[in-house]
Amino acid sequence: MRRVRFRTPQSAAASLLIPLLLIAATALIGASGTPSLQDTVTMILCNLIIVVGLQVFVGNSGVYSFGQLGFATAGAYIAAFLTLPAAFALLQTPGLPGFIVDAHLGALSATLIAAAFSGLLAIVIGLPLMRTSTLAIPISTFAFLIVVYNVVANWDRVTGGSSGLVSIPSTTGVESAALWAGAAVVLALAYKWSASGYRLQATREDEVAARSIGIGVMRERLIAFGLSGVLCGIGGALAVHQSGVLNPATFYFGLTVTTMTMLVVGGARSVFGAVIGALAIAVVNELLRGIENGASLFGAISIGEAPGLAAIGLGLILLATMIAMPNGLSSGREAGELAWLQRLGLSAPAPPPPSGALVESTPAIERPPKGALRAEGISLAFAGLQVLKQVDLTLEPGEALGLIGPNGAGKTTLVNVLSGFQAPDSGLVSLDGVVVTGRSPTRLARDGLGRTFQAALPFPELSCIESVAVGAMGMGVGRRRAIAVAADVLGRLGLLEQATLPAGALPPGSQRLLGIARALAIGPRYLLLDEPAAGLNEAECEQLVAILRNVLGDFGCGILLIEHDMNIVMPLCSRVQVLDDGGTIRIGTPQEVQADPAVVESYLGSSFLAGVDA
Amino acid sequence: MTALGQNLIDALALGGLYALIALGITLVYTVMGMMNFAHGEFIMLAAYALFVFADLPFGAAVGCALLTGIAIALIAERIAFRPVRNADLSAQLVTSLAVAAILQNFVTVAVNARAQSVETPAAISESTRIGAISVPNLEFVTLGLTAIVLGGLGWLLYRTRTGLAMRAAAENFEMARLLGVRANRVIAIAFAISGALAAAVGVLIVLQTGQVSPTMGLTPVLVGFVAVVIGGFGRMFGAVVGGLLLGALSSLLGVYLPEGLAPFRDAIVFTFPVLILIFRPHGLLGGEIGKARV
Repeated sequence: MRRVRFRTPQSAAASLLIPLLLIAATALIGASGTPSLQDTVTMILCNLIIVVGLQVFVGNSGVYSFGQLGFATAGAYIAAFLTLPAAFALLQTPGLPGFIVDAHLGALSATLIAAAFSGLLAIVIGLPLMRTSTLAIPISTFAFLIVVYNVVANWDRVTGGSSGLVSIPSTTGVESAALWAGAAVVLALAYKWSASGYRLQATREDEVAARSIGIGVMRERLIAFGLSGVLCGIGGALAVHQSGVLNPATFYFGLTVTTMTMLVVGGARSVFGAVIGALAIAVVNELLRGIENGASLFGAISIGEAPGLAAIGLGLILLATMIAMPNGLSSGREAGELAWLQRLGLSAPAPPPPSGALVESTPAIERPPKGALRAEGISLAFAGLQVLKQVDLTLEPGEALGLIGPNGAGKTTLVNVLSGFQAPDSGLVSLDGVVVTGRSPTRLARDGLGRTFQAALPFPELSCIESVAVGAMGMGVGRRRAIAVAADVLGRLGLLEQATLPAGALPPGSQRLLGIARALAIGPRYLLLDEPAAGLNEAECEQLVAILRNVLGDFGCGILLIEHDMNIVMPLCSRVQVLDDGGTIRIGTPQEVQADPAVVESYLGSSFLAGVDA
Repeated sequence: MTALGQNLIDALALGGLYALIALGITLVYTVMGMMNFAHGEFIMLAAYALFVFADLPFGAAVGCALLTGIAIALIAERIAFRPVRNADLSAQLVTSLAVAAILQNFVTVAVNARAQSVETPAAISESTRIGAISVPNLEFVTLGLTAIVLGGLGWLLYRTRTGLAMRAAAENFEMARLLGVRANRVIAIAFAISGALAAAVGVLIVLQTGQVSPTMGLTPVLVGFVAVVIGGFGRMFGAVVGGLLLGALSSLLGVYLPEGLAPFRDAIVFTFPVLILIFRPHGLLGGEIGKARV
């Protein structure tokens, strides 16, 4: 039996080695050059570490932070404090506690402590900030950057104020910067490919869907924010040990724009993008600075000194990238995923699925249902419009309950209440006898409540198998086991052939099935399906009925099925509940419901009866 | 008592200025969903118009500043922001950051990186006594302007066809478009008004400080952003409340902060929104933006 993988070993190796080779080549060029070139290359590598740190948070979460250089500042000052010779410390930082002044650490231990401090700071700052929205985070992180600047620029007795610090030992050379840069790349890739990294990427692709499979958005963002803080702190510490001087403006607005440009131009979604962006923009930046300083271009065109020209150039490049090439040079792909590399045989596309239908015969997560999913007296009003009126609902394990009713009857709202996306005004939801009203969607998913949405809400940039595996990862299942679960579920739903395609590339019908697969991967006790057949053709509908019947048998979970198509409800559901205008008007077997004049009146309509007769 | 009254008027005036900034940012946000980083540069460029047209009578120079603010906002919208109109929030934010960097450094290249002083009418720096309190004339101008702008915007949004179109676009852009609202026109109008507001702020800042510099827009735009976050995204009223709160806080801290802490005023002012966000992650007036819809 062949293992299913996210990627081939060749592809993983290429993704790791190519950025490392690029860094090594840069270091070699630097090491063999003049001292001034060595300094330049060392600084470029320090900035590269910061850009990789930026990628860890921005790339995986899709949320921009303008505050990461605040962590570089923190790392730089800590590293400077720990290594400043005593005589200079006394003069420049009289307010510094004695134990720090007397530390006299070597470069390595100073860098490590700086990294730890920056990471800790990022966690402390991130705790409140990550609670806010995708748009509030960039703004509040920017505010954080200003706060850091304001503090270090004015805390004269400790930081040396706006004039900054000098005579910091210059210990960072090309070699050590390159080694740290390599370590940063390895760390960033290891994180991206970890279960935690995948969970965060899922929130980037679709936050709502991610919450429905048990992913804690704030927690995952916080982890990446902390790791990003560590890397930025390292970059700052190394940079200050390169230049030997430090002032509050070293890591401020200018470098924020530069590093952001590097990340965006390279392509934020991949570590490879961060590396090539950092190197490409560094080269462009050096050229622009040459022009800025009045150097003549090709010996012919001579331009006078024009400070600010380089920054305009970078701004134009950033603008052009956002407009014309938003995925950057790397298209958001890691090196091993590049098509031309695969054509050259240096990498291989993701492996074809194994030939057998099932990889493992049992799902990896088993949670036999113990009670029932129950809603009692659920009422909810939106701005005075009563959407749900005292609705009761019981879903037993192993049964399929159909929820039907005309548009606007409150079916989806009821599912949103059951799955925690919407708090009811009154009423209780209980799961296996435990009251769960008020629990978050994330928590309810972990309790065993799976759901799909009216829209497929795929994770477009993840492959199908990654999309489904991340559902198991949301339950805290490790990567390898999650892949096995995903392969199993995809096999049951007949999607194994498409396993390694990007989810966004599937046709709409398959994307809907993928949504069901993703919900099944959490090992649900109860599965809430919101119009799973919408947009499916007749053959696909028949396939869906067969699949759901198997799910009922194999998983033993209860299924709540919102569906307009009676041809799907009738063969599957043992009971049908009819909602109209926010209240239940009938519960019974499909035959009873179909025969009820009130139901026919409000929903099925005379044309339905006509259709049955015909 | 007198000192308190004085301080409160100062606080209100600074709050009014901040509210004008926040309104300019919110206006664009509501119709386009973009937080415009370059708003600070609109302010800065309009202020530079006062420097460039210093030889004209001051009123005429103010007119030039107003035209500059409107023109640069419209040009930026046409060239840079229209192509990314359908991109996600983060991409739009980064695009506006690029525009900000370009404009800021353009002025550095074209004029100078250093601050330049600008002559302002003497009357503006004088004060008027009301009872025991002496109010700087500039604060009257600021407060008056804020009131006029608020009234004017309210009239525009709720009493005119254009305002109706803008509110519809803010509610549901695609739907408004399908119903015949001309998207390009509505967005251009929002940018033009935003540019005019930026110009007003730029002029007020010059009147206060007597100088212009390429980086003078950075703090205002951050203040505006933070005010918008505090007030809750996309709420005109929230922006005004956020601006007033932030301005009042900054102004009062400037007076009452002990000497040792005085240099850290900005740090305290910008930590304040974080405290608010801990308790109200979606701002004081709780805009639903960023809270995903199912």
